[in-house]
Amino acid sequence: MKILVVGFAFVLSLVAQIWVAEDPVIHVLVQFPLLVFVGYCLASGMRIQQIFMGPLLVLAVAAILFWMLPRTLDAILTEWGMFIAKFVLLPLTVGVPLALCWRHLNPVVRGFVKAQAISMLGILGFLYTHAPVRICNSYLLDDQVRLGYGFFLVVVGLSIVWTIPVFIGDRHEMEKNTPSRSVEIS
Amino acid sequence: MKYEPQAGAVKLTMLLSGTVFLLMMIFGLVLRASQGNFIELDPAIFYQILTAHGAGMVGSAALSGGAIMWYFVGKYTKLNPVIYWLFLGLFLAGVVLILGSVFIGEYGGAWTFLFPLPAISGGAWGVEAAVIFCLGYVLIGVGFLLYYLEMGYRIGKKYNGFSGALGWRYIVNGDLEKAPPPTVIAAASVIIFNSTGIIFGAIVLVASIVNLLLPEFAVDALLAKNAIYFFGHVFVNATIYMAVTAVYEIIPEYTGKPWKTSRLFAIGWALVVVFVQLVYFHHVLQDLVMPAWMLALGQIMSYASGIPLIGITTFSLCVYIKGSGMKWDLTSKLLVLSVAGWTIGSIPAVIDGMIAVNKVMHNTLWVPGHFHTYLLLGEVAMAFGFSVWLVRGKAKKTANNLLERLTFNIYALGGFGFILVFLWSGASSIPRRWAVHLEEWHFHSQIGTVFAVGVVLATAVLVMIYTAGLVRRETKK
Amino acid sequence: MRQNIAATFCAIILGGAGLIWATDGLQAFTAEGARRLEISNNRPFAPDPILETMEGYFRPLKEAPSKITLIEFIYTTCPTICQSAGGEFARLRDLLVKQEIPVRMISISFDPQQDTVEALSDYGELHGALGKVWTVARPDIADLEALLDFFMVTVIPDDWGGYQHNTAVLLIDKGGRFSGVFDTNAYQAIVQAVKAASR
Repeated sequence: MKILVVGFAFVLSLVAQIWVAEDPVIHVLVQFPLLVFVGYCLASGMRIQQIFMGPLLVLAVAAILFWMLPRTLDAILTEWGMFIAKFVLLPLTVGVPLALCWRHLNPVVRGFVKAQAISMLGILGFLYTHAPVRICNSYLLDDQVRLGYGFFLVVVGLSIVWTIPVFIGDRHEMEKNTPSRSVEIS
Repeated sequence: MKYEPQAGAVKLTMLLSGTVFLLMMIFGLVLRASQGNFIELDPAIFYQILTAHGAGMVGSAALSGGAIMWYFVGKYTKLNPVIYWLFLGLFLAGVVLILGSVFIGEYGGAWTFLFPLPAISGGAWGVEAAVIFCLGYVLIGVGFLLYYLEMGYRIGKKYNGFSGALGWRYIVNGDLEKAPPPTVIAAASVIIFNSTGIIFGAIVLVASIVNLLLPEFAVDALLAKNAIYFFGHVFVNATIYMAVTAVYEIIPEYTGKPWKTSRLFAIGWALVVVFVQLVYFHHVLQDLVMPAWMLALGQIMSYASGIPLIGITTFSLCVYIKGSGMKWDLTSKLLVLSVAGWTIGSIPAVIDGMIAVNKVMHNTLWVPGHFHTYLLLGEVAMAFGFSVWLVRGKAKKTANNLLERLTFNIYALGGFGFILVFLWSGASSIPRRWAVHLEEWHFHSQIGTVFAVGVVLATAVLVMIYTAGLVRRETKK
Repeated sequence: MRQNIAATFCAIILGGAGLIWATDGLQAFTAEGARRLEISNNRPFAPDPILETMEGYFRPLKEAPSKITLIEFIYTTCPTICQSAGGEFARLRDLLVKQEIPVRMISISFDPQQDTVEALSDYGELHGALGKVWTVARPDIADLEALLDFFMVTVIPDDWGGYQHNTAVLLIDKGGRFSGVFDTNAYQAIVQAVKAASR
């Protein structure tokens, strides 16, 4: 079952390749997440030692930063090596490490990464909608602005997806943690 | 034994913020004295001091509010001390950057860093100074974000999500057994709206930094103004909403009646969560290009945001005090004064929040009059009330001696006088943020200066009382 | 716990180093930035194709080896960037002439099929290129791709029959080396660089 999902997502990412050269939105906001998802699914459920958690998170964040660099986007479209590396390394350096470490991270660290992701995507949205020049030589200015608005949409989406659970809380926690039985410190 | 959550760290924080309050008040005194022509001040220096005064006051108000809330939320749930130290460390690092930018880099673009002022200084300061100023804010924001995440995680877990911690479930089902205490409701509200504010602030700060370094990336001035005031307004408001937990927690020790969560109370805070984020529109009422509905919203929200909660808090306070035979000492006086200041401060705010009034009043000293009421007689009084309580507990034996009575009276009198002069000047259309005042205005500023001297002296004594209390406690151990 | 922090810390250093490497020491985040950095570091030897000028003459790109040559790539039917680039080039010419710095300036069309000699001369007239200091020219179609490749100019067709391309002022020094890329309105930086290269 898992193999099917992974395979399907990978095939989808290959299909997306048709539009990648013209459309940065498909490239960054559809194909990239699909490839990350492929890696995430592959490694989900695996367990590793606690000591690797921090370094894996750092690896994933650094890799995301690298693949989001405008010059990387240009290089993917002009160099064969980078083109292939995208399909191999996005799953392996972003998806896999995230799957391995995410659930085991301290909740405060997780929240911090989420908050950073939202503000960084907002900043990218600002940069791509306000840049006076083309940030990527391979894409048209209009498409760059469209990508900027795409980032803003992702910000809105992630904010909603990430805040709703905060309000609802965890049913199981509720049963474990009714105020009458919780530890009173004072 | 009374549980004291990270009492050492909180005490250190209150010492730091108390000292900074005093220092910044002296800055404020210098500003007023210069406007009153008592002293000569180079306008460039005036604006540097103005910037330091604004940023420093907002900063130490936030710091003391943060310490108070951490202390009291710690009564209900365990909090990780590492996060608090990180918060404090990042905060201080940010302060160092801001002070360096102001006094070494000569940055004088005001704490609001309103675009495009930081970028276009006319040679008064370099781009680096403005960048460092913004970076200082970013560090402080990161510190607060960590603080809120830790606190949010803990209370979210204990009260099963924020709908529980905010008291929303209680509003619906009325189950008082499981209702969160007032402090937790306040904390949950602040965490929500101030985290939003900080994330927005981070976006606009980094955008400003990019614009400073690469001027080709022009920021839309109106968008920047909206984002900055959204962040700035929410952040300043949060300082009071954090510090008010001191009132909820300490006053019951005096009245003997616990401050209870009620449906009305929870609804008041629920309104705050939503409205505090929408009320900032009253900062852009003068921007005619803003859509009319936003401005109208700003006016309506100005009424709706603070007033229900302030009303509920003030009313409850009166009910709790009435007939309780409450003992009036320095702590209880300061805390009651703070609620009074908070309430009274809302009156000029609501007046200024009316579009018709705002058009003539917004750039006058009326506005400093409003926020000084909130802060000087509200937040700062809460902070000192908490500080004094912290080193002394319930003041049973310590005498309500002459020095303390005098200090409080001078603080309150000086504070009210100082603020009334601002409001009077504002009503007389004296502009704000002017380094040099016309001769006709000197008299106003001179009276203001006299009252300011009183406030500074009283504050110095308050810091001394707190420090002496700290030392006494330590030696007793 | 302490081990975890140490491991994370090491990872941060490695990750940071990797990103610094990938951006040439945090200097180049875009392909354009990388291109400019590479050029100012390596100063490659520029090719010397024959260009057809707006006056109808055939001249090599590096016609006057004693002079510094400033070039920019345009196409004359461009409704936006190339028009402002033309105005900015004119202003740059005025600045350089006023300071009596000897220099040769060429606006090169990357659309030689559409841009006839007549179109080139219209563009020159519109922006005040007189041919003496600044001329407008087109390369042979056969040379075009190599030329664009060397100067790292990316041209992509847009939806209205025109092109989007990276516009910049490119500097070829006396030795015929490609040694600088500037924004078209970075007058001070360009004047400084021309002065420095003239010495």
